[in-house]
Amino acid sequence: MTADDSKSEKNAAGQLLDSMYLDMFYLIEAHTQCRVDIERTNSSGAILLARTKFQQGGHSLTTAQIPTENSAEFNALCRVVEKAERVSIERHSVDKESGYVEPLHWFSVLPPMSLRTAVERFKKSIELVAESTNLQRELAKILNGIDRLRRSVAQ
Amino acid sequence: MSNQSFEEGKLMAVIGDEDTCVGFLLGGIGEINEQRQSNFMVVEKDTTAAQIDECFKRFVARDDIAIIMINQIYADMIRTTIDKHLLPVPTVLEIPSKQHAYDSSKDSILKRAQGILKPTGRRR
Repeated sequence: MTADDSKSEKNAAGQLLDSMYLDMFYLIEAHTQCRVDIERTNSSGAILLARTKFQQGGHSLTTAQIPTENSAEFNALCRVVEKAERVSIERHSVDKESGYVEPLHWFSVLPPMSLRTAVERFKKSIELVAESTNLQRELAKILNGIDRLRRSVAQ
Repeated sequence: MSNQSFEEGKLMAVIGDEDTCVGFLLGGIGEINEQRQSNFMVVEKDTTAAQIDECFKRFVARDDIAIIMINQIYADMIRTTIDKHLLPVPTVLEIPSKQHAYDSSKDSILKRAQGILKPTGRRR
């Protein structure tokens, strides 16, 4: 390999690294923004949970009402589905006979509006978590790529 | 929604404080399977780092879990274990809690990115 070939190869690797760094910065920004959105959505949900506790009493929403390993088995209403290297959330309708129970009913038979709105906030947060997962996986891939390329350039 | 794609889908797991767990369970992520294993852990005041670590490792070992959410404050308690987890699945997401805001400088993936930006000679 001539000196010119080696130089042009290094230039190409350098350009590739630059574009990977740009992708990395974009993903870091999107990743952080997504976490901030999760924080906002969760906080808004937590305020509504607190309002429900205030209206219904402190014991209306506690971990004591959450099922434990000794409770009857039940299925998750939402699952993570992966298509073309991207995850998304799919929801199952409530079907008590098949084990898809309504989580709201653990806490109240007649849930107040604040609790229903809190559920909507947390559903939104679950969608954001899926988006954040996609960004994080993409970022990890870019970091691995940069690491490999830097090592091969250094050799 | 096709039933088949739903059945083939994986779960989300959560390790967090009461509000985080209650919220996500209300959102519909909770499950207790036939082996009586749950996909959530409520961290109480007296929960130790060893218990969180053990639960985290149990979730990582399960092949039906795709995403593990953990409050950043509890991720800090088991930072070594989380930093060692480099596999893309299950993806570990450090999420903020009610009392502790999200700190990007503590997040494992962003710490890795910061490491990449350091000149080669100064990296460990």
